[in-house]
Amino acid sequence: MPAQVSIDVRGLTKRYGRLLAVDHISFQVYRGEVFSLLGPNGAGKTTTVSMLSTLRMPTEGDALVEGYSIVRDRTAVRRIIGVVPQDLTADDELTGFDNVLLMARLHGYRGKEAEERAKEAIRFMELEDAANRRVMYYSGGMRRRLEIAMSVVHDPQVVFLDEPTVGLDVQSRRHIWDLIRRLKKVGVTVVLTTHYMEEADELSDRVAIMDHGHIVALGSPDELKSRIKGDRIYLKLGSPDEVRRALEAISVEFKDVSEVDGQLVVKVPSSADAMPQLIKLLSSFDVRELRVVRPNLEEVFLELTGHGLRDEESFDTFKFRRLMGAMRS
Amino acid sequence: MIYEVWVLTWRELKKWWGRRGVFIVSLVTPLAWLGLFGKSINFTKIFSPSTFALSLPPQLQPYAPYIQKVMENASQTALVKLFGTTDYFSFLTTGMLVVFAFFQSAFGGVNIVFEKRLGSMNRLRMTPAPRFSIFLAKIVGTLIRIFFYETVLLVIALALGFKPDVTLLGFILSGVAIALLAIGFISLFEGIGFNVDNQEIMFSILNLINLPLMFASPVLFPLKQMPDWLQEVAKFNPLTYTADIVRYNMLGLHTVNYVEAWAILVGISAVLTIIGAWASLRVLENY
Repeated sequence: MPAQVSIDVRGLTKRYGRLLAVDHISFQVYRGEVFSLLGPNGAGKTTTVSMLSTLRMPTEGDALVEGYSIVRDRTAVRRIIGVVPQDLTADDELTGFDNVLLMARLHGYRGKEAEERAKEAIRFMELEDAANRRVMYYSGGMRRRLEIAMSVVHDPQVVFLDEPTVGLDVQSRRHIWDLIRRLKKVGVTVVLTTHYMEEADELSDRVAIMDHGHIVALGSPDELKSRIKGDRIYLKLGSPDEVRRALEAISVEFKDVSEVDGQLVVKVPSSADAMPQLIKLLSSFDVRELRVVRPNLEEVFLELTGHGLRDEESFDTFKFRRLMGAMRS
Repeated sequence: MIYEVWVLTWRELKKWWGRRGVFIVSLVTPLAWLGLFGKSINFTKIFSPSTFALSLPPQLQPYAPYIQKVMENASQTALVKLFGTTDYFSFLTTGMLVVFAFFQSAFGGVNIVFEKRLGSMNRLRMTPAPRFSIFLAKIVGTLIRIFFYETVLLVIALALGFKPDVTLLGFILSGVAIALLAIGFISLFEGIGFNVDNQEIMFSILNLINLPLMFASPVLFPLKQMPDWLQEVAKFNPLTYTADIVRYNMLGLHTVNYVEAWAILVGISAVLTIIGAWASLRVLENY
């Protein structure tokens, strides 16, 4: 069965003054898949999602979300999508339940039905115990889950998550991942942005790698990793002199050998096959460390762009909100 | 549309209700204005004959009662000529009702700056709710708050000696005039709030608008005793007309043509609302 298109992006562009944040990108997201935009901060992922979710108007281009244009049918798009933005948006003076109820009502549900839906979304995100507490007393992980609850209360067909696990501890992160898998299971199309390589690898059916406003590669995690063709073996040796001599010795048998930051990097189709020969060649050298790196998305990104996925955390929203809360009360 | 406005107003009021201590703080302000300002500047006492009697030279002492009588008449006449009444407290209370609504109407705009920064405004923008309902709900919510405080203010004023001479119709008309003024300024401040990203800039703009408008109006003192140029400025001030309508209905006093006052107030309020709505929707649809 051919995959049905849920989101069709055509030449989408956003310009902020002279900065071209997103530069004529086109791609398709299939119905029911988890699609990731992977890239460093500033690559244009958030801007792309903001445009797709009608929060920002594209400078050029268009996209159809379940057939509705994000430029012309903005209200129709808003009805069928759920958005979990990077910033926290729940009203911290209201309870978790009231926040979710507000969303249900603004999507047109009334009376008992709105309340039932809110309760259901709270249950889905496992927040029952905290539902009647004001959001200002929530932990970071709870706030994230509340954001998702607020975004799925109206059973959207497409859910956008912008960096859903930034700043969370490992346990909360795993929890959010489980919830995203559950969304996929009930048939929701999920688009998420992340700069965590494991997150994209673990969750997505397909990944688009973004850098400087462009999509530099698109495919399933396995497809992307197969582009690297084989493993890399990193070698640390006793002295610079040894490195030079080892480079000569290994180059006799292996084609792709290079020196990076005082280490030798040997690219091989399969590390298991290459290892016996490599060890034989290295028998007379003082090898301090030998590391085999299997292909991963980080390596793919490095290969494609020549720079890494910088792992810096973004602005600390929690801290900011706590400060603001203190100011107001 | 009506449903969304109701839902969003519910949100406003629930947040307001939930803020602990907000009532006490909000009650202190009008109490301080009325109790301290209204009672300390007691013109009747300032001009009272007993104050002058003390300074009479000895040879005039026998005539003290006559002089006091003359002085009393003179001061009463002066007060009536200046304020239209000898009761400055009632004069101030009516002005206070106007100025308090005016100041409170700024809160809608301040709220927006915070909600934009905290992200909850973005959350509303993600929903299919009509953008205009977001704008409108802020007006309704702020208006309800204002009239709650106006009621409290009125009760306090009555307890402190405010003596209105008012019919039910006059009472309602006063409320309508205050509501018109508030709607215009809530809209204007919403428009500013949506276009400003920083609360400090917002507060500076508020002070820039609020204090001059208060002083260039007859809410605290009558226009007559102001310099001519200030009287000219006051002619462009909606507070002038609101205060005039309220005083006409509650105290039987007025300085401008009553019908003219209504026409100008409605006009200014409409212009402010349109400007505010335009500035707000521009940002709401696309920031």
